[in-house]
Parts: sequence; C-alpha cells; structure tokens
Amino acid sequence: MRSVAKTQTNGRPAPLSPERLEQLRRPATAKTLEEKRAAVRLATEGFRVKVRVTPDMYGRR
Amino acid sequence: MSPTGGRRSATRGVFAIEETELLLPNPVALDTSFVVEALIATQPAHAVCRPFFLRIVESGVSITTSDLLPVELAEAVFGIALKERWGSRWRGHRTDGRARRRAARLLDDAVSRYEMLFTSADHFSVPLADATSAARSLMTSYGLASYDAIHAASAIAADAEAIVTLDTGFALLPPSLLTVYTDRSRVASCRSKRQR
Repeated sequence: MRSVAKTQTNGRPAPLSPERLEQLRRPATAKTLEEKRAAVRLATEGFRVKVRVTPDMYGRR
Repeated sequence: MSPTGGRRSATRGVFAIEETELLLPNPVALDTSFVVEALIATQPAHAVCRPFFLRIVESGVSITTSDLLPVELAEAVFGIALKERWGSRWRGHRTDGRARRRAARLLDDAVSRYEMLFTSADHFSVPLADATSAARSLMTSYGLASYDAIHAASAIAADAEAIVTLDTGFALLPPSLLTVYTDRSRVASCRSKRQR
C-alpha cells in the first residue's frame, strides 16, 4: 500500500519512506549551472498564446 | 525560524516569492498554477514565476510535484486551443473537433517544454496512488478542493515544507503542514485564509 495515511504527532501525514522517495527521484540531466540555466531558458522563453490561461481551464475553481 | 528569519506568527507561513531573502527548503513543491505561469510567456505572472523557477534551480534544491500536474497542464493547453477559436464560448465547444489540431501542436510544445524544465533539477513526481489517502484527509479536515488536496498531499508525501503556488486555496492548510510561497499580490489573501 503506497498511501500516506499514517499521521505524525503534529497532525502532518507521514512522508513516504526514503526507499520509496529514492524510487521516485529523477536526477537532473542538466549537470552544470550553465546547462541548467539553458534548460530553463529553452523551456520558458517564447511560448506565447493568444488568450489568458485561467485556473478554470485546468479544473480549478 | 521562518523562511525569511522573521516571526512566523505575523506571516502565518505565507511568503512572497519576490522577496530576495526568502530561503528555499529542500525539496520544494510546485503547484500547477506556478508552473503554468513560468512556462507560458504571455501569462501575467510569468515575469515573477520564471525568475523564481530559475532561482530554485540555481539554489540546487530538489523539486517535487504531483503526477496530476502534467495532466492539468494538458487540460490547460486544450482549453487554450478552444478559447483561441471560440473566445468566451469555449466551454461549450469541448467536443467540437476543429480546435484539436491546434491543441495537439500546443500540447507537443508544452510537453517538450515541461520535460526540458524538469531536466534542470532533481525532481520527485509523486504518483496519485501515493497521495490519495492523505488528500482525502486534507479535504475533510481543512476543506481543500480535490486537486489542491492532491498537490498538498503529494508535497507532504515528498517531505516538502513549502509549496509554490498562485492558488490561494492552499492557505486553508495550517502553517504546520505547508508553508505557502506565492506572488506578492496574493500574500494578503492567503494570510487572511490561514487559520489562527
């Protein structure tokens, strides 16, 4: 069972086990700071649309 | 100690991402509302969210998200194609096929950008199965909407102390569960929603 239903004493649900978190980890493929900056730049520059995206467009209130 | 070193009670665990002295926990959770603004250059908060994403990357902390995020992103992109074609009547044309070619092109672009973005940092994407039980608990305990509850539960599952979001609904959670990092224009609204 992969739930996080168990609750810690402070009321915060318990996190996943370190082993499970390691399974979920995807290491950065950009290694140097310059490569990382370039990835962010390529991802975030120039994606322009003609309308404003509002939260209701992805199911939020 | 609060993320800016000030008194936590005054801030109610809500901080502006424009604050240059803001400390970044490791890992930090990202909500769809923040990623949409960071990715799409024409969004009103792009000028705030893009540099904050870069700051996260440059700081070297890990990022955690829910597997729900790329699904919501795809939904948003489909909505863009419909809205571009049909304007304010876009909701009534979901099953009309004439926007689908544009939607497919936009989605290809969005997915490649999303994947590129997350090559820049270590990333934990939490499956829904790992978060649903806690999400139900957050909904019933604090009145979170279902999607917000999934993102919050995923953040907690990955042991993130803070979530970066433009959705004020996360402020329904007490500060002991998640610190909220949002843009300056939403800080007051989030703080007013926080339980005392």
